[in-house]
This record gives sequence, structure tokens and C-alpha cells, in this order.
Amino acid sequence: MAVFAVFQTTFLLALLSWRTYQSEALSEPLPLTPESLKVSINSTQQCLHLQWSVHSLAYHQELKMVFQIEISRFNTSNVIWVENYSTTVKWKQVLHWNWESELPLECATHFVRIRSMVDNARIPEPRSWSSWSSWEEVDERNSLGHGALFVFPKDKLVEEGSSVTICSISRSYQNNVSCLLEGVQMRGEQLDPNVSAFHLNNVPFIRETGTNIFCTTGRGDGTGTVLFVSKVLEEPRDFSCETPDFKTLHCTWDPGSDTGLPKRQPSQSYTLFESFSGKKILCEHKNWCNWQVAQDSQEMYNFTLTTENYLRKRGVNILFNLTHRVRPMTPFNVVFKNISDTNATMTWQVHSIGNYSTLFCQIELHGEGKVIQQHNVSIKVNGNYLLSELEPDTQYMAQVRCGDANHFWKWSEWIGKNFSTLEAAPSEAPDVWRNVKSEPGYQTVTLFWKPLSKSHANEKILFYNVVIENLDEPSKLQLHSIPAPANGTKLTLDQCSYQIHVTANNSVGTSPASVIVVSGDTGNKVEEERVNVTEDGFSMSWKPQPGDVTGYVVEWCDHPRDLPCDLQWEKLGPNTTSTVISSDAFIPGVRYNFRIYGISTKRIAYLLEQKTGYSQELAPSDNPQVVMSNLTSHSFTLSWKDYSTESQPGFIRGYHVYLKSKEGECHPGFEKAILPDDSVSCKYKIYNPEQKTFVVENLQPESFYEFFVTPYTSVGEGPLDAFTKVTTPDEHSHLLIRIILPTVFCVLLIMIICYLNSQWMKEKCYPDIPDPYKSSVLSLIKSKENPRLTIMSVKDCIPDAIEVINKPEGSKIQFLGSRNSLTDTEITQPAYLYLLPTEKNSSGPGPCICFENFTYNQAASNSGCCGHVPVPPEAPSQLGLLTSPENLLKVLENNYMNSLGEIPAGETTLNYVSQLVLPLSRDKDSLQTDPPVPALCSEYKMQMAIPLGLASPPPNEKSSVSSVTLLDQGEPHH
Amino acid sequence: MKVLAAGVVPLLLVLHWKHGAGSPLPITPDNATCATRHPCQSNVMDQIRNQLVQLNSSANALFVLYYTAQGEPFPSNLDKLCRPDVTDFPPFHANGTEKARLVELYRIVAYLGASLGNITRDQKVLNPNARSLHCKLNSTSDTMRGLLSNVLCHLCSKYHVANVDVAYGPDTSNKDAFQKKKLGCQLLGKYKQVIKVVAQAF
Repeated sequence: MAVFAVFQTTFLLALLSWRTYQSEALSEPLPLTPESLKVSINSTQQCLHLQWSVHSLAYHQELKMVFQIEISRFNTSNVIWVENYSTTVKWKQVLHWNWESELPLECATHFVRIRSMVDNARIPEPRSWSSWSSWEEVDERNSLGHGALFVFPKDKLVEEGSSVTICSISRSYQNNVSCLLEGVQMRGEQLDPNVSAFHLNNVPFIRETGTNIFCTTGRGDGTGTVLFVSKVLEEPRDFSCETPDFKTLHCTWDPGSDTGLPKRQPSQSYTLFESFSGKKILCEHKNWCNWQVAQDSQEMYNFTLTTENYLRKRGVNILFNLTHRVRPMTPFNVVFKNISDTNATMTWQVHSIGNYSTLFCQIELHGEGKVIQQHNVSIKVNGNYLLSELEPDTQYMAQVRCGDANHFWKWSEWIGKNFSTLEAAPSEAPDVWRNVKSEPGYQTVTLFWKPLSKSHANEKILFYNVVIENLDEPSKLQLHSIPAPANGTKLTLDQCSYQIHVTANNSVGTSPASVIVVSGDTGNKVEEERVNVTEDGFSMSWKPQPGDVTGYVVEWCDHPRDLPCDLQWEKLGPNTTSTVISSDAFIPGVRYNFRIYGISTKRIAYLLEQKTGYSQELAPSDNPQVVMSNLTSHSFTLSWKDYSTESQPGFIRGYHVYLKSKEGECHPGFEKAILPDDSVSCKYKIYNPEQKTFVVENLQPESFYEFFVTPYTSVGEGPLDAFTKVTTPDEHSHLLIRIILPTVFCVLLIMIICYLNSQWMKEKCYPDIPDPYKSSVLSLIKSKENPRLTIMSVKDCIPDAIEVINKPEGSKIQFLGSRNSLTDTEITQPAYLYLLPTEKNSSGPGPCICFENFTYNQAASNSGCCGHVPVPPEAPSQLGLLTSPENLLKVLENNYMNSLGEIPAGETTLNYVSQLVLPLSRDKDSLQTDPPVPALCSEYKMQMAIPLGLASPPPNEKSSVSSVTLLDQGEPHH
Repeated sequence: MKVLAAGVVPLLLVLHWKHGAGSPLPITPDNATCATRHPCQSNVMDQIRNQLVQLNSSANALFVLYYTAQGEPFPSNLDKLCRPDVTDFPPFHANGTEKARLVELYRIVAYLGASLGNITRDQKVLNPNARSLHCKLNSTSDTMRGLLSNVLCHLCSKYHVANVDVAYGPDTSNKDAFQKKKLGCQLLGKYKQVIKVVAQAF
């Protein structure tokens, strides 16, 4: 029984094995259909998640299979994705597969089905697919809830520059959905009556808080979604590792942009993996990480630095030998020892990097902010170096760094320290020069010295000592101590020779002395030459001096127009016979004078040459004051002798004389020139700067000219000033002057002579009328007492006839006095009446008419115009006498005319027909009876008016006998 | 869930630190006893008025600050995104009795306080660098808490009302970022609108 049972079991096992073999060997397709297919949606990842199993597998059977998956959208016929998925399937294994959808899964119904095929090499081709599973439908739209419009995906995290599809689901069929990205409308595509898709390519990074996408149907409110855009994760750059001590590896890299988004995505992480050891660490920092070196003498390292965020993963790799990546630690304990004025010893220590390692160190010495020395030295642990050739009293900074001498990789960090050298006495004599002015009996020596450079002063200069030694009396020494920072002193010395020592002193000691000798000799005078100017400065040379010359000195003033002129000098060696003088103080248009001295072996300076020049010549800045003289009808002379050619902004080479004339023609020697104001003028060039006069000739008489004189240098002429105007005189005017002046002179001379001889002429031609009452004859008469004898009175002269002409109208004469009429007064009081001219005829000539008062009054006869003044018929000049106010007043005062009424002027006019002279023997009584006898009135011609009644009856009452008849000057005389 | 616990729930616990907090609170019957831990100040009504004036004066600035911080399209689409359509907002009747107005005010302040807590929490996530907005939200919430306390004290001391049933706005913790921004904007727009009426009513 037992044997049977064993046999039976063995048989069954054999049968099973055979069947199994049969199934494999016969290549029959197994019915391994995927079953239990489940499809779900992962909205965050926008993934369709599939899971299924293959139930037909045998126990512990593993079978390599291929699954073909088909995905349709909206309906089963719209297949959008087909993919074969190969895997090894185990018994009762649940298989998973994900598919990421470009379109948000919420916006469309998706259908999935799957079939399988055994992928076993032992099964010969052709293999066959299993039957398809049934379609599995996934539709999220039913679970969206209430709302008119939905936008997907929600809060999606994408990389900058990627592509995104936004979809919207509208509950209404008629709504046209539009979506805006930061105000910019997105291009849409209608996928379904309710579903629109908006494709967004190259998504921009706008802000860390996300990019708002806003969709609206145009009615009601809208909705949207936020797209969180992160920077693209970059591959780490410059990844390297190094060790300072073979214990740790310090790895660094450049992480690039931070891809973190607040509350959405943390910053990218960094992981360091070493492949040989298989170790992996998560770096805490974004740009460096420390790795502990293993103690197992691992030399080779293969590091992979991996960075990742939610969206991407990147990595870089380096392979290196540890001994080739040694960067020593920063040296320490830097100390300066044995510091003197010129030397110092620098010591330092380094961290050991191994028993037999050697370090290569670099030392830099910095002074005044720049590297002045650099040294290299190899050391083991302790380093030291002697810094030499230092300047006294100077602050320095020395620093050191080290690298691996065997396999140099990188320098360590610098470590530095400051130190100062000790002070010392000035190492060089001050550069001294002098200026000597000789005066009668003494000389003034002004000493100048330049401050010592810092390298020579060695410390702050406190004072300068000036020792004056009289060479004629060596025992006499003078010491002057000049406190710094003075750069000179003035000495007054006698005419002896002196040797002057100048030293600079600091707190440590005294500098070597600078020695110069001054003698009473004023020196020789040399001709001044012009100096050449180059781009580098004033280039000058001089003849080498025969004999022993210890050197040369070139002296000049930086500011020759100022006082003091800032004396400068340059000392040159005995073999130097040329130099170029340059200075920042040199300015264009200033004349600089250079003196070149030779220094004898006795240290006496003697003048060799004088040179002058401009660093840059300029055109004259002003024009001379021109004086014109010797003006004739054909020429005039211009002179500007006061114009100095020395103080000009360039060497005056001559002058330009501009001349303008109305004719516009240029005289010989002149040339036409166009002035800066575009006017045309004639120009004459004077090439001699010392010629400061010019005669302008060949001018036209009585012509108008304009002239203008300006100097010129090599650069140009002076500024254009106003022209001076001149007009040449008439050609004959001088002749006239020559004639007229003597003539006038002669006439004047004659007139003077005539005047002087006028008394003589008067006596000869028209002597004074003697006054008979004053005549000596009277005395003779009185003495003889002859009553009959009398002197003829002019009152006795009676005109023979008077023609009275009635005038219809005329001016009236206002007589001063009472209103009594003339008729009344004539009868009772005969008096002299003065005929006064009216204003109208005051200027014209007029006769004087007098009526005789037989009671002669001496005073009246002397004062009035009717005195013994001859009145010729045409004697208007006598009116002045008549109108004399003094005479008139005298008459009035004597009541010769008491009252006169107004008499119309012009009613009557008296014309003298003739004049008669009464015989001397007649008395007054006979005057009216005797007819007048025409005769010459000897020397006296008396014009008198007779009473009107004697001549003709009065025309009216007013024209009475005694009335005054006025002559109207405005009427013609008959 | 953690966010919910950190946002609304602590606020509610603070506001209603007693049994029954978190559920709708019925108005206490008139004959029920109402006791406050501390007696109300005599000028509590003045304080309420001042707090309302203060909230009213700052409401618009808070609204502007909020929608500006959200970025486009909010500032240019206020009518669509910030329209004060808050359906479950507690009503207020300005012509009611003082007691009724105080009760309605209590409900409004409780609603606003919870919503401001949600907005503050959301904005710290959505706009972590908008410091001034956070400050303004916190300041408003503080004033709101003080106002709620004063109203409750006054209701209790004068009208013997110990409990008032209140309702809260929707929890936004499960909303997407855009919906959080939009709901916050709508709420603050509503707040600006309502607080003006309420302040004038007192």
C-alpha cells in the first residue's frame, strides 16, 4: 500500500513536470489577460494611474510580459496614447503604470484599456496579444461641484520656459471663454462644447508668488488659477574639492539660480556621493560641503554632486588624487624681528600637512599701497625671511601665503602685518641754490633749498642749519638755524667771498652739508638767446666750459610775473651740456628766462648763458597806443614808441599797419587784407619789432583815412581794435595860411598904429570944437568990457524954412510929466524939447529937432542932444546922443519940460530945407524979423525947428505952434 | 487639516472659550443668568463706536492693499474678482433696536474675525513677503477681537445675552491659490461695504 502510494505520488509529479515542460516547450500562447484594471487620477501630478494584475500566472511563476495600454479622450475611438510596457510579472503581483497628461485630466473624460503578451524568448514567434480589457472610464468633471466656470490645472508648479496647457470647463454651451495671463490674452482651442484649452509656451518667471491666469466668460465673475513658475535648476559650476590637512575635503561649487518658491518649492538640495567608498552626504549649504577623509589612505576620489528640486535633478562629477588637491591653511603667528632703519626679519608658522611635505611660500612687501618687493621661500613648518633695502622711518606691510611645494594646487589665504623701520639721520644733503644781488657795499644772498624726499629725510626734518664762513677771514663763522618747513633764507653779506654750508636735521642727526660759495663779483653779462621748445619742454644746450667745472645749474622762475617768482633750478653733471626743462607751472604766453651757470671747483657759480622763450607763443593780447603826428595833405606819421615787446605773450616779430581809404586802393607797399570782421583793408608789414614809427604817405588831400596798428607774433596778430580816423587837410591851406597870417598881422599892426595915431589924426582931421565960453577970448572981451561983443550962439541959428507934412496917422509919443498939452506949456514956458524915437524906429536913423528956448540954459545945452552938436542932414548916428537916458533925465530934472501931452506921432513931419547961420552980431530980438541969409554955418551946423506958426498954419488944434512934431521913421521922408 | 487647526479653530476657541464653542449659539433666554468675568467699563458703548470708526477708516486701505498684493488681474478686474458677493454674510438692520443691532453686530464681527484669520493665514503662504498687508490684517483682526469682546460684554451686562448663534464663512484651506485670493478679496470688499453701514448705525 505504501509502495503504491509512493508510486502514485511519483507518477503525479512526473506528470505535472511533463505538463509544465509541455506548456513551455510547445510554445502555446498562454491566456494571461490583464485583469482588475483600475484607473485613477492624480490631479497634482496630472497623471493617470493604472493598476492591474495577471491572475493566470502559476504559483511563484515569473513571466516577462509586455502590456499594451491605450488611452482615449472624450470617447473611446479618440485614441491619444498607445504605449507598450514591459515588465516581469510575478504571481499575484499588482502592476502599476502612470501616464502624465498634457491636458489637465479634469477637463476631459479618459478611457483606458490594456492587453498583454508574454515576452519570453523560449516562446518562438509569432507571439500573440491577449484580448483587450474593457474600457475603463475616468471623468472628474462630475465631481467639480457647483460653478459656472472651472480652470485647470490648479497651482501647478512648472519650470521657467516650459510649456503648459490650461483648460477651462464651462457649464454653459454658449459661453466663449477667454483667458488672460497677466493681462495678455492667451490663444485658445475648443476641445469640446464645454472645454477649451489654452497652450502656453515658454512660460515666463514673473514673481515668486505665482502667475495669475484669469478666465472669464464675459458674463458674471471669472475664475482662474495660479501657475507657480520656478527658475530652471542649473548644473553646479566650478565644482572642486581640496584639503588643507589630509583630514577633510572642502568641496565648493557655484549653485546658480535659486529655484525655491516660498511655500511651494524649497530651494534645490545638494548631495555629495563618492563612488569608491560609496558614501553619500546631504550638503547643508548650497555652495559648499565638507567631506571627512577616510583613514584608509584612499588617494583617489570620484565625487558626484547632485542637485535636485521638485521638477529636475542634475549632477556633476570630478575625479582627483587627494595629494594633488592640497591647499595649505593660512599661515599664522607672523612676527617681525630685528627691525632696523633698513632691515627687518619676518617669521611665520604654517600648519603641517604631513611629515615630509614642503611648503612653498610667497612674501610680498607693500609700501605706500603698492607691492615693492616679492620673495619666494620653501619651508617645512617655520618660515622666516630677511627683508632688506628698506627705507628708514617708513611703514610697511608684509604678507605671506603658502602652497604645496610637491603638487602645487592653490595658494593659501594671505596673512599680513604692518611694521615700521627705525628712524635715521637724513641721508642726503639738501639741494641748495642761491640768488645774489649786489648792492653798493654789500650783497644780498637768498638761499633756496628743496625739501628732502622721504627716502632721504628718514624722518621729519626739524630745522636747517646754515653756516656762513667768510673765506677772507676764515675765523668768522655765522650759524643760522632755520626751522622747517622753510625752504630758504635771505642773508645780507659784505662784498667778501663766503662759503655757505646748509644741512638738514631731524631728531636723529644731521645730513651731509650742501656747500656753495658766493663772491663779491657781480659776474659777467651775456647775450640773451632764444630757447627751443619741444613737446617735452624747453630744450637748451650750452657750450662745454674749458677747465675744471664740477657741474652746471639751470635756473628759472616758474612764475616770472609774480614776486617772488618761485625760483627753480636743476643741477647737472659736469659732462652734461644740454637738458630739457619742463614744469607743470609753465603756461602758454609767458616768457621764461633761463640762466645757465657753471660751477667751478671752488664751488662758485658763474653765468654762462641766458636764454628766453615761451612754452607756447600766443598772439598779442593788446595793441600799441599809436600817436599820429605830422599830418599833411599827403602823409602822416604813426608812432608807438611806448609799446614794450618784452612783456608780450610771444616774440613780437613786427607790426601790421592797416589803412582804409574811401577809394579802396592800396598804396605802394600795402597789400589788400581781409580783416576778421570781413572788411577789406590795406596792410603794410613791418618786419622789425623795434621799428615803432611809420610814415603813411601818398595820401590824397582832403581825404578821409582810417588806420590801425597791431603787432604780430609767430601765432598771429593782435586783436582787431577800432580804426583811428584822420582826414588830410587841403593842399593849399598851408599856402593860404602863409599869406593870410602875415596879412592879418600886418593889418592888425596898422590898426594898432592907427589907433595910436588917432589923436594925431583927430587933431589933424577933425579937431575938437572949442567951447567959446571957455575960450580965452572971453577973458579978453570981459577985460575990454565991450557989451556988444558977444559970442555967436548956435541958438541964434534959424533955419530958413521948414516943411511940415501932415501925417494921417502915426505913433504917439508918451511924454513924461503932467498931462498939460504942449500948446499950453509952449506959450508960458518955452523949453527944449527932445524928440524921442518910438520903439519901432529906435534902430533906425532919425533927425533931432530942437525948438529954441530963448532963455538959454547952459546946463541944458551941455546935456541934450540939442547942445552944440552938429546935426548933419543925414546923421542918424546922432540918435544915440538924443536917446541917451542920462541926458533925458537931466533935462527932466531941470524942468525944462514940465508937462507934455500926448501928441500923435506922424501927424507932422519937419523937413529941413536949408540951414542958415545967423550973423554973429545979431541978437535974439532980430532973429524972428530978419530974413535968414543962406550962408555956410562955418564949422557949426545946427539943425533947429522953428515954431510952426512961422511956417504954416496948424492944421488943427493939436498941431499948434508949440506942439512937437514927430517923425515917423516908418514913413518916407520928403 | 493642520492649517485649519492653526487658523480658524484657535480663533474660535479664543472667541468662545466656553462650553459649546464652535456650534451655533442661540440667544440666551431673557430669564437666563449672564455673568461676565469682569464688569464692563461704563463707556463700553463709546469704545464700540470708536472701534467701529477705526475699522471703517482703515477698511478701504486694507482692501486696496490686498488686491494690489495679489497682482494682476485683481486690480484691473475688481468687478469680477472682488465683487462683494458673500452669500452667507450675516445681515444687519440699522433701524432695529440697539439690542438687535448689537446682536447682529456680534454675528458680523464673529464672521469677519474668522474670515480675516483665514485670509491672514492664506496670505502668509501666497504672499509671504507682503509685510504691510500682513501687518494690516493682523491689526484689523486685533481690533475685531476687541470689538467682539466689548459687544459681548455690553450684551451681557445690559441685555443679559450670554450666547449668540454665529455663522462663519467657508474654510479656504482646501481651496486653490486663485480661489483663496478671490475669496479674500470678495470678503474684504464686503467688509469695507458693511463696516461703513454698521459704523453709521452706532
